Amino acid sequence: MMIDFAFLNRILRAPASVAAQCRSDQNVASMARTSLLALLVASTAFGAAVGSMRGGRQIAFAAMKLPIGVLGTLALAAPAFYVLAAVFGRPWPLRPVISLMLSAGARFALVLLALTPPLWLTIDFAAPYPLIKLVATVAYGLAGLAGLEVLVRGLGDGPGKKMTIALFVGVFLMIGGQNAWVLRPYLGTPGAREVELFTREREGGLVVQLLQSAHDLSRGRLPEAEDPPAPPTVP
Amino acid sequence: MSILDLLGLYALVGMACAIAVFRRAPRRGFGAVLSSLVTVPLWPLWAPFALGPAGAQEQNTRSRPENDAIVARVDKALSDAVAAVADTSMSEVFTPRTAARIAAEVKHVATRLADLTSLAERSGFDRAVSARRLAELEGSGATERAIATARLQHESLERLAQLRAADARALEELADLLEALRTQLVLARYAGSSADGAPAIVSEIWARLEGLGAALDPGASSSP
Repeated sequence: MMIDFAFLNRILRAPASVAAQCRSDQNVASMARTSLLALLVASTAFGAAVGSMRGGRQIAFAAMKLPIGVLGTLALAAPAFYVLAAVFGRPWPLRPVISLMLSAGARFALVLLALTPPLWLTIDFAAPYPLIKLVATVAYGLAGLAGLEVLVRGLGDGPGKKMTIALFVGVFLMIGGQNAWVLRPYLGTPGAREVELFTREREGGLVVQLLQSAHDLSRGRLPEAEDPPAPPTVP
Repeated sequence: MSILDLLGLYALVGMACAIAVFRRAPRRGFGAVLSSLVTVPLWPLWAPFALGPAGAQEQNTRSRPENDAIVARVDKALSDAVAAVADTSMSEVFTPRTAARIAAEVKHVATRLADLTSLAERSGFDRAVSARRLAELEGSGATERAIATARLQHESLERLAQLRAADARALEELADLLEALRTQLVLARYAGSSADGAPAIVSEIWARLEGLGAALDPGASSSP
């Protein structure tokens, strides 16, 4: 079967047992397949809900870009997790590490999917732009924390666990933030006449922008209002 | 190196992985094509699974809902039985180690049964198809040799189905037996008497497990 519903049920209710199964490298192919599908479906739905603030083509653009951002971030961060786990005392084979990460992704996806209707309702109730941004960020953050629990349990007890998690979260946020920045806008700029697939401004990467903003703030200048990036992807 | 160069390099590795995934696929169908296409953009996530040893990682947890239900019944009966004899004189008769070994044997048998059932569902193992083929050959006046081959195929599939049905029944009976053992041990605990029939039931369970193990996988079953 293409989708392992029993796995989806277990990842929500018993993440520790899924983490143990990942480490033992048993039946992981169907878990990986289900996780990828769950990520695709959930991020598409969430993207569509985010894009519904602007409506029209923005729904399709955001629904298309969010899965690219989420899956792209996972794909780029996976080798980092493998290396960090190995360096800090867990030299496991590649497949258990990737399946652990994908299981975390599946949990993230399920929580994100569950939080999509509240976000859509917030938009449908004509909530102000900053509130919609906040709800979307909180939903993403909660989903990320749910996924992170699988990674924490999966690494088991022992030295180097906190360091592995901390460094990986750092790497993941950097990759996710940059991906989200490159693929923006998701919500769409309020009042803008055109709906764009990608923003046309060339402003450098996320880090450059963060440094520029910090520099401006330190000099007492407020950055110009513009379409903010989507919230960073969290595992 | 620009981001486009990096994306090009990423796609190049993805395409190489996709070719490897397609070539390694056990069957060249829609599934293989889809797996290859997914590999191009997601090779760091999907290639380790698609290029892994075919079926090896699925080996230990093959299951089917009907077998899972029996295994769950057995696990419940065993844990109840162990709890019933705890801190009583019967704890020598039915130890946690014995329960664990019975559970392991039952799971082994259930897994083999799941294999047999999955096998029967694959193309090439369909009894109806083999029966039709045999009838066609007999009706069209095919050579004796062709008819004999088709008959052999059909009879083998029939025997496989009978074996599977018999083993499924035996596993069901085993679960009933373990539940009977559990009930007897619980009764003995609360009635304050010795469970005289329990050792006989344990021996019967082992005999049946050995019988099942010998039928499905000669040499795999072990007695206490």
